[in-house]
Amino acid sequence: MSVLTQPAPRNARETSGFTGGIAALATGKLYALQNPFALDGRVSSYPASERGYSVANSYLLTQSDAAMLIDTGFGKDEPVIRAQIESLIAPGLPLSLFPLRLNEFMSINNVETFAGHFNVETCYTSNVDAALWFDFGAKANGRSVLESMKVTAVTRADTIQLGTKGRAIDVMQAPIRLIATRWLYDRATRTLFSSDMFTHVWRARAEGPWIVTDANDATSPRDLRSFLLNTRYWWLEGAPTDSIRRGIADVFDKCDVETIAPGYGCILHGRKVVARHVEMLDEIFKGLDKSVAVSRYVDRDEER
Amino acid sequence: MANKMPREIAPGVFWIGDCLAQRHKGKVYHGYNAAFLVAGTSASVLVETGHPKDFPVIERHLAELFARGVPPLKYLFVTHQETPHCGGLGRILTRFPETILCGDVSDYHLAFPQFEHRMRWMKEGDAINLGGRSLMAVEPVIRDLRTTWWGFDTGERVLFPGDGFAYSHYHQDGHCGLVAEEAVSLDLPDVSAVFADLALFWTKFANMEAYCDRLDQLIERLGVKTIAPTHGLPITDVKATVPKVKEGLKAAALVPESGTNEKASSLAAAPAV
Repeated sequence: MSVLTQPAPRNARETSGFTGGIAALATGKLYALQNPFALDGRVSSYPASERGYSVANSYLLTQSDAAMLIDTGFGKDEPVIRAQIESLIAPGLPLSLFPLRLNEFMSINNVETFAGHFNVETCYTSNVDAALWFDFGAKANGRSVLESMKVTAVTRADTIQLGTKGRAIDVMQAPIRLIATRWLYDRATRTLFSSDMFTHVWRARAEGPWIVTDANDATSPRDLRSFLLNTRYWWLEGAPTDSIRRGIADVFDKCDVETIAPGYGCILHGRKVVARHVEMLDEIFKGLDKSVAVSRYVDRDEER
Repeated sequence: MANKMPREIAPGVFWIGDCLAQRHKGKVYHGYNAAFLVAGTSASVLVETGHPKDFPVIERHLAELFARGVPPLKYLFVTHQETPHCGGLGRILTRFPETILCGDVSDYHLAFPQFEHRMRWMKEGDAINLGGRSLMAVEPVIRDLRTTWWGFDTGERVLFPGDGFAYSHYHQDGHCGLVAEEAVSLDLPDVSAVFADLALFWTKFANMEAYCDRLDQLIERLGVKTIAPTHGLPITDVKATVPKVKEGLKAAALVPESGTNEKASSLAAAPAV
């Protein structure tokens, strides 16, 4: 292990029974930084009527000479996430940022602060002019920090090389999305970072657990269908879903996925769990297709 | 050449903010991430915060209006949680310490917990009294995030539809700062279709006839006289202009989604899609 990569901190737990904080998804390679929030009807990513807890996930990919942070979390968690990163990488280690949704606080809220605090060598986005999209006034000198931050534009189909050993991170346009969204695939850990998809598992308690394994995978097709239609995919019923199904199938055909790491909610871990949720999603899309369902106006507050 | 802002698009309704350049299929388009100040006799409300990049412009425009005697900013209403609409709220609430944030205030307590005590929830039909006029939360027919509300000024019957009526304009033709009816060379169906292709993915999949019908019903029910979209040019002749925008939405729905698939060098001014 390099002197620049810290050993996993004592609070980085194995995935089994993980209850929040730092989860070592692949020790020395990939950590989930999970910070809970209450589902109290005030979270846009969840159905208004649901109650319980979820987590906002940021992911830290570490190499001996570089690291990458995927999504920066909510402003409320900034000091915690900053400390989590500090516990995992050495001071001064080059850090790149990759917010997967350029328009949502959960992805971009802390870019400004982290760019001023860490040795951020670049921020990957779909828009090379994006630096000032992150100017939320968190710091008095935030605008100048952002203006001097290097921004690297990525296309729908790129590969980023992390560190001098060239750890390959594949970039793709999300095959289903509401707003501007990228998915990433880390070949080294066989992890798909799915942003606002596969976000459908939350918990009754703030303690989690926040990783779904074969031992605790209780999601039903009905749960998943309701989640999609009662959140940002309210428009799917009666849509021509075949192209979306093909797009998702292509991703899983090309990428050997062992872990699905969503931007919020429980992480889906293990081949059996991944396969089950992908199949369940495909069946639901099939049942929502225009060949069997009718597209109609959907009221803002309608829950199905 | 940009036209003078702030611009009063209806009595007591001021259009402020700036353009965002966009490149799409070899053409450069301009879009807005506008904000609007609605002035009553006792208070003003700011609708949308403008894009985070635009805060210095928004602040300057507001200062100009308050110097002219517009009533103080007591309320901020944002249509939804996408940062081009609400990204400036931290700066606005800091700059105007008496201002209350109103609307569907989901997520903001997670992004700006220091302002949670200044957030007020609105349901459909709830109204903010500005003195002589109110700003009401109304049905968001065209939306992305489920937590969207549109705003409606009961005084001059101005609709603030957030992501509805989103279309670009031609900077080279001097459209910046013009209302839709003044931008005579603007191909409204075309630019509406371009915006839908870039930023409203779902409109490729939903039955847009149903959404356009609902739009007509809302406009009729509210008696809308002016439309003040966040991204498009303001519409002052609803009867003449709305059908052209609907034509663009319906046309875009029939074309397969393309988004930005260009290489990094040509993404210089592209919107996030």
